[in-house]
Amino acid sequence: MNRPCQKNYLLIAFALMLPVGSARAQDDDFQAGNKFYENGDYQSAVMMFQKVDGAGLESAPLYYNLGNAYFKDGDLGRAILYYHRAKRLDPSDPDILNNLEFAGRFSTMRMEGVELNPIDAFLKSMVGGYRLKTLGWLASGFFILFVGLLILKYGLQIYFSGLNSAITTALILLVMSSGLTTFKYRSEFLIKRGVVIAQESTVYSGPSTNSDLEFEGSPGLVVEIVKESGDFYDVLFENKRRGWVKKDLVAVL
Amino acid sequence: MNCRGYKLCLYMVLVTLALAPSVSAAPVNQVEIEAVLDRDTIGLDEQAILQVIIRSADQNIDAPNMPTLPMFEVYSQGRSSNISIVNGAVSASLTYRYILMPKKSGTYPIDQIAVVHKNKRYVANALELTVLDKGVATPPELEDQAGDGQGGSKDYFLEATVDNAKPYVGQQITLTLKFFIAVQSFGSPELTEPALTGFWSEVIGNKPVYFQSINKRRYKLIERQYALFPTQTGELTIGRAMIRTTIAATNQSQRDPFDIFGNVFGRGTDVTVRSQPVTVKVRTLPEPGKPKDFSGTVGKFSITATIDKREVEVNQPVTVVFKITGVGNVKSVAEPLMPSLPDFRIYRSSSSENMTKFNDLLGGTKIFEEVFIPGQPGEQEIPAVSYNYFDPESGKYRTISTQPFKIKVRKPEGFVASPNVPFTPSELSIGSESRDIRYIKSDLGDTQAKGEILLLTPAYIIANGLPLAVLAGLVIARKRRERLQADVGYARSRTASKAARKRLSKAQALTKVETLSEFYAELNLVLTAYIADKLNISPYGLTTDRIMHLLEEKQAGEALVNDIIGVIKQCDFARFAPSSLSKNDMDNSLLKVEQIMAGIEGVNFE
Repeated sequence: MNRPCQKNYLLIAFALMLPVGSARAQDDDFQAGNKFYENGDYQSAVMMFQKVDGAGLESAPLYYNLGNAYFKDGDLGRAILYYHRAKRLDPSDPDILNNLEFAGRFSTMRMEGVELNPIDAFLKSMVGGYRLKTLGWLASGFFILFVGLLILKYGLQIYFSGLNSAITTALILLVMSSGLTTFKYRSEFLIKRGVVIAQESTVYSGPSTNSDLEFEGSPGLVVEIVKESGDFYDVLFENKRRGWVKKDLVAVL
Repeated sequence: MNCRGYKLCLYMVLVTLALAPSVSAAPVNQVEIEAVLDRDTIGLDEQAILQVIIRSADQNIDAPNMPTLPMFEVYSQGRSSNISIVNGAVSASLTYRYILMPKKSGTYPIDQIAVVHKNKRYVANALELTVLDKGVATPPELEDQAGDGQGGSKDYFLEATVDNAKPYVGQQITLTLKFFIAVQSFGSPELTEPALTGFWSEVIGNKPVYFQSINKRRYKLIERQYALFPTQTGELTIGRAMIRTTIAATNQSQRDPFDIFGNVFGRGTDVTVRSQPVTVKVRTLPEPGKPKDFSGTVGKFSITATIDKREVEVNQPVTVVFKITGVGNVKSVAEPLMPSLPDFRIYRSSSSENMTKFNDLLGGTKIFEEVFIPGQPGEQEIPAVSYNYFDPESGKYRTISTQPFKIKVRKPEGFVASPNVPFTPSELSIGSESRDIRYIKSDLGDTQAKGEILLLTPAYIIANGLPLAVLAGLVIARKRRERLQADVGYARSRTASKAARKRLSKAQALTKVETLSEFYAELNLVLTAYIADKLNISPYGLTTDRIMHLLEEKQAGEALVNDIIGVIKQCDFARFAPSSLSKNDMDNSLLKVEQIMAGIEGVNFE
């Protein structure tokens, strides 16, 4: 083997090893964060977990541990923010749901949600406990099944009794699963949401501190970000109250 | 009705029966009649609202007979009905509303309101209404607030009051917002609710609009109430509420001089009014008598427990449902502490809550489901579970308890006592688990790139795109095969090139001077057969003129047609005067035919 060829192989090997090495470094940082947490040094734990977060990767356990570290450090707003992020990645994890509910009890202000219309409520109850990825792959599975059956019928011209019924069933399942996936994506990812992270957050009637004061928010409140203007977000609270909050007081989910 | 709705209905019936026997549903085939006044004292220039409520399973009941009330002008405000079905029993209530406007001061009885049904007369409870001289019924503070400071009175104002200015932390207080307006207004007033920092709040609702006279002026009142639960001690301030509304412009100078329809279409002036902030001094709960396991629940509650089965095998779950019901903030009701039971593993299965409003009080039920898994056969007992709360009315801590449950734990088949049986209690203290956050995760889990969209990942595209490509390929191949079989013209056109190339190679073998005639004959055949296949016609009798005509019909280029005619003419010429052509001409002709075939491939013969 000549030298340039050898050099190329080395480069490829290095490139292949890079993600592995990088993932290992993030896992090491994660474990270091856990050690700090176990020793009661929550600020250092937050720093280590944030380092993993800053590397461009996300996982439900990472956000969950960050939420715990912030909670123990007394930062209720950020704790709830990260519990929400963890829940979005894994809505079926009982630990995440428990800690989110528990942290919510410390919020001094409650914004009771307005009841959803029955269809939205039904769809939410259907998809609420599933990850978006799970629903996406489920829809993909039904799509492959549907196309597979079409291949049998139209491509290979293999017929058997019940084939048409199987195609219809696969199509119905595909439409349903795709619809639910789209609903989940729209309601949880397309609609921009945020969490109030500041201890004191004044809600104004307009995008300026000279506007009328509407009320004082509290950390942990979840808002829908309707639009933005300058340094302000126009936000809609869960009880459909609306107002303007300074951007640095709210973290986008 | 869904489970939650059913539970809510059931709870509302239970609370109604427990707290307000006077308003419970009437038994079937009976008639109950009740008279209610909104106030028992009014001023001479004010009015009272009298409601007559008739409850019966039978909805066909006549209107009540009203007694003669000479000291009042009585106006009917119509009736409303309400029907409810509980456990299959139908109960209906009819409410008749009357406005009583006094003519003279004094105390007057209101009795003998009766209804006759199926030849039986039912009489309502007697009431008494006191009418005071003008203005006396209005509190002086309200008169001050209504005054404009110049001897007159305000057209509108907003008042905020609480029923208890010194509550305990966690105790409900009721905030009442009253909007007084004495001038004509348009549309519904728009309310900006007060800032309630330091309180957990719930809207109780709006009261029916009524009227009140203050300083000889008649105000319309819109009233809204909130249940507030202080979450911290010390001085808390309820912020200003604000109302925006449109009132009739009273000042002529404010009117648009060109607006001649101003009065007709009711255009007015937009006004804003704010309430005064209200300060509440929230007291801490008393230390004496505070139980060690007190969880902070304030109100008045009862606890019940039910068990799903009394006989199980070892390791089989038994579910105990604990229901804490009462008046207070049920959302803050913590899980009861489970006793330490070495022979059981205990898991909290779920918790849920229902909230309801009864008059001005907020209450409800919180339900905890606990799963007990016995690890030892024999007679076992789940002991009584107690719960502590603070009763703000008496200022004392109370303890409530459930009854104990005895269960029979059977030995399952093949049961062998071992160090693992009975089970050691779980490492986690399950009972207090929800009092602190659950522990961190030890594993980073499945990571993904931030903002990754599944639809755009290579795996997803390949997984979904590959079957689609296979399907498309197979369908196209099948269609082509079918057409080749069914359409002779298409098949000839498709195979023309292949057949021509075969003949061309045969002609190539004849490119010698001694076989010149054969070569050009073959070349002529190659070209005419190729064109005939492309046009799906017989090659026999295909003349130069016909080829020219057909190719022009198919819009083949003029140069291409000329080339074809040129080659055919050369082939004819070679057959009659072969000596004038050389091998070089043969090669050129061969090349020309190949170029013509490439050109014809570009012509659409469909």
